[in-house]
Amino acid sequence: MTDVPVSRIRNFSIIAHIDHGKSTLADRLLQATGTVDAREMKEQFLDNMDLERERGITIKLQAARMDYTAKDGQNYVLNLIDTPGHVDFSYEVSRSLAACEGALLVVDASQGVEAQTLANVYLALENNLEIIPVLNKIDLPGAEPDRVKQEIEEIVGLDCSNAILASAKEGRGVPEILEEIVRLVPPPANTVDQPLRALIFDSYYDPYRGVIVYFRLMDGRLKQGDKVRLMASGKEFVIDELGVLSPTQVKVDDLHAGEVGYLAASIKAVEDARVGDTITLANKPATEALPGYIEAKPMVFCGMFPIDADQFPELREALERLKLNDAALHYEPETSSAMGFGFRCGFLGLLHMEIVQERLEREYNLDLIITAPSVVYQVTTLKGDVIYIDNPSKLPDPQQREKIEEPYVQLDIITPETYVGTLMELCQTRRGIFKDMKYLTPGRTTLIYEMPLAEVVTDFFDLMKSRSRGYASMEYQLIGYRENFLVKLDIMINGDPVDPLATIVHRDKAYAVGRALTEKLKELIPRHQFKIPIQAAIGSKVIASEHISAIRKDVLAKCYGGDISRKKKLLQKQAKGKKRMKSIGTVDVPQEAFMAVLRITQD
Amino acid sequence: MEFNVPSSAYVHIPFCRRRCFYCDFPVSVVGDQRNGNNSGTIVHYVEILCNEIRLTENLGQPLKTIFLGGGTPSLLSVGQLSQILDTLNRQFGILSDAEISMEIDPGTFDLAQIQGYRSSGVNRVSLGVQAFQSELLTACGRTHRVEDVYHSIDLIHQADVSNFSLDLISGLPKQTIAQWQDSLDKAISLSPNHISVYDLTIEPMTPFGKQYQPGATPLPTDEATADMYRRAQSILTSAGYEHYEISNYARSGFQCHHNRVYWKNRSFYGFGMGATSYIGGDRVARPRKTREYYEWVEEKITNEGKRISYQNPDPSDVFLDTLMVGLRLAEGLSLSQLVQQFGQERIAELWTCLQPYQKVGWVEFSSADYPTLAGSNLPEGHIRLTDPEGFLFSNVILVKLFETFDQ
Repeated sequence: MTDVPVSRIRNFSIIAHIDHGKSTLADRLLQATGTVDAREMKEQFLDNMDLERERGITIKLQAARMDYTAKDGQNYVLNLIDTPGHVDFSYEVSRSLAACEGALLVVDASQGVEAQTLANVYLALENNLEIIPVLNKIDLPGAEPDRVKQEIEEIVGLDCSNAILASAKEGRGVPEILEEIVRLVPPPANTVDQPLRALIFDSYYDPYRGVIVYFRLMDGRLKQGDKVRLMASGKEFVIDELGVLSPTQVKVDDLHAGEVGYLAASIKAVEDARVGDTITLANKPATEALPGYIEAKPMVFCGMFPIDADQFPELREALERLKLNDAALHYEPETSSAMGFGFRCGFLGLLHMEIVQERLEREYNLDLIITAPSVVYQVTTLKGDVIYIDNPSKLPDPQQREKIEEPYVQLDIITPETYVGTLMELCQTRRGIFKDMKYLTPGRTTLIYEMPLAEVVTDFFDLMKSRSRGYASMEYQLIGYRENFLVKLDIMINGDPVDPLATIVHRDKAYAVGRALTEKLKELIPRHQFKIPIQAAIGSKVIASEHISAIRKDVLAKCYGGDISRKKKLLQKQAKGKKRMKSIGTVDVPQEAFMAVLRITQD
Repeated sequence: MEFNVPSSAYVHIPFCRRRCFYCDFPVSVVGDQRNGNNSGTIVHYVEILCNEIRLTENLGQPLKTIFLGGGTPSLLSVGQLSQILDTLNRQFGILSDAEISMEIDPGTFDLAQIQGYRSSGVNRVSLGVQAFQSELLTACGRTHRVEDVYHSIDLIHQADVSNFSLDLISGLPKQTIAQWQDSLDKAISLSPNHISVYDLTIEPMTPFGKQYQPGATPLPTDEATADMYRRAQSILTSAGYEHYEISNYARSGFQCHHNRVYWKNRSFYGFGMGATSYIGGDRVARPRKTREYYEWVEEKITNEGKRISYQNPDPSDVFLDTLMVGLRLAEGLSLSQLVQQFGQERIAELWTCLQPYQKVGWVEFSSADYPTLAGSNLPEGHIRLTDPEGFLFSNVILVKLFETFDQ
């Protein structure tokens, strides 16, 4: 690796909305600097996980070091630190931005600024980053660079007179981008002589080498064999391996302030080297850790139960493995009379939950029942104790509680004007409190609402997208807890309460939700040989009820020679479907019924 | 697994004057002009069909049963029918006391025709009556009227085909319990040896499938059709018919031998468009469209000389097939035979699997007090579904068996 002075290092990240071309641009930068040659170039090099590539989103961030000879004839080292593109991971975004001095703001010239981009730009501004606007996809016929420039200037307050017009797909604008990074992004402060401080912006678990930590050296020097201390966890490790990401891992002997690298030190789980923690030397520690470290707290919880009870140990093992690599994932055993043994799991948000669920099913081959997501409620008991409830079925009885508070978020939606009405209506049905509406540029509007998180973690995102034909984008942040008149809605199938179907809802919506939920369950649960009552109740009071009538017959009248194969396929299909159901008492309940609360139409 | 040599043949005659609204069988619609414009089509089909028969390897057993199904086999001329039977006889040999059944439809044949069929060897006919109410017949797209039924029965008697069967359908749109009862009574009064009663299945790709939702008006409720099923059982058994299979009733000694071959999961040849053969565990379905069937036979001609090797069937497949068809019979399945064929362990599992259904009265063992089979706690005798309750819910039990045994 070429060693360059601190003055010729540039650390930057790319801020962009999903689909605005971040990964393609990153690919082009890697190619243009010769970091990856065209032969080994896979599309979207930085998106390592299959899931990311399939969905075109970045979940785990990555980094890449590029050697670049600028027009001034000097050699520079450019470190691209990629950021995840989803609201669930905004803390990780803030840490990777903190590791940079500059950022490319990539905006689709045919679309404009989206809510998520805006949130990340603000994060970058808070971290004093130099921001270089790039208008991407100018090759598209619908591109309106002037309108989008105006939009960026008005919304972000960023001068766009020198914005780069680019088409990552065609490679246009890439040389200009590289030059502007060198010219505009400030070099890191030269603090090589100060005690070591390095910021962890990512880590992952490797089964052979232990946790691999990605970091940015803020001060001092680090070499292989050094004994380091993680200032938040207090743990100490000896560095086995030190290197840079080029973009594959390349070992080096030492690194100094300003550089970006990775280390391996036989660390057992990512929990011990969390994002945001500060690395220092054990025998010559810095006096103060780098600012901004927080322990990411799960916001959304759900139950996970194996359909086949025999798979419980496998589920436990799979969660243990995932946890090695995912400090934000929480889980603890949960037992339910209806579901048997499983786990209560906590996630940063819905996407995080979906990712974990999908990995469990895909990589670990588990058949799971996932219950509808719940937020964490803060309950004050009559005795004055405050308890946190992440599982609706555990809510104390009304006689024992003083009040229930629920988490609220500020929700920012950016949308074309046309959809303002329908989106306001949606927010209102979700208990949103209107705060503000701003016209950004002609035709584009920001809506700001305060809303219970519980209303956001249902199907809100999908509905927002469908009501705006995909054009609106959203972003939210937690703003605190508020007291509301909330009740627990229990669901009984065939007379038995089914814990995983219990939900906490606002009193005013309880009847509507109860009715919709019983109707939906009637639709989802197949008929049995007996009549099955389905009831929704608050306490002992039944507020909605339906029943599934008994089947009266189930017979193939004709089954002749030529028919057998077709009838057999029919039976096989039914048997397969039945295998994937969970028996609750004597009733077979299909997987999707446990998510029914997400599928009811509340408006 | 023993190789079971077929001695039965199914022959499919796909032609119909029109397609009934509930039918998803492979048929070829030829319109009303019998022996008119369409005769060429039928002649050609019979040629190809006979080619297929001649190209099929004789595995060494003469035919004991032949079934000509459709479609409407009675659209064949007497000459065409004897051409088919001759070809079968030359290729495989037909036993002198073989059962030769033929489906015939009211209004599609005259006296000379049925006499001709009889002298060509047909000794059992099955008349597609379906209902005794003209409005129901019209509503399901049948071409015949109730008068045609009585006329057909006269012709059958005149031709001296004493062994005949009637088909009835329950669960037709707007059909009432009273109408069903009336149909059963009228069927009995015609004194057939055999009666088939089919609960209407709404198949997705049929006019009914597109028009109606099973169990919703104008179709009778499931409750009503279950009632129709039970009534058929009680009325027909009191009239001296034995309920020998889920949908079939016969006077003693007149069960359809050909169909029993299916339910015993034994081998059979199959010929014609859409027909399935089942030889040594190998089920081969012929194409369900005329042109594709012709090409299929053409290919067979090209490959002449190449012997088809019958694959070794997957035992768990055969096991499920055996249960699926065997439990349709009132006599059920012999436990000792099952053990012999599929092994003690699997049958013990079957036994366990069926216990809950025995408790609710859907499954019974013919002889629980018999001595147990050597080395097990399985009784000798048969395992069977109860009549009518077990039959009515037979799919519930079969789905459970597929859940347990289908890997």
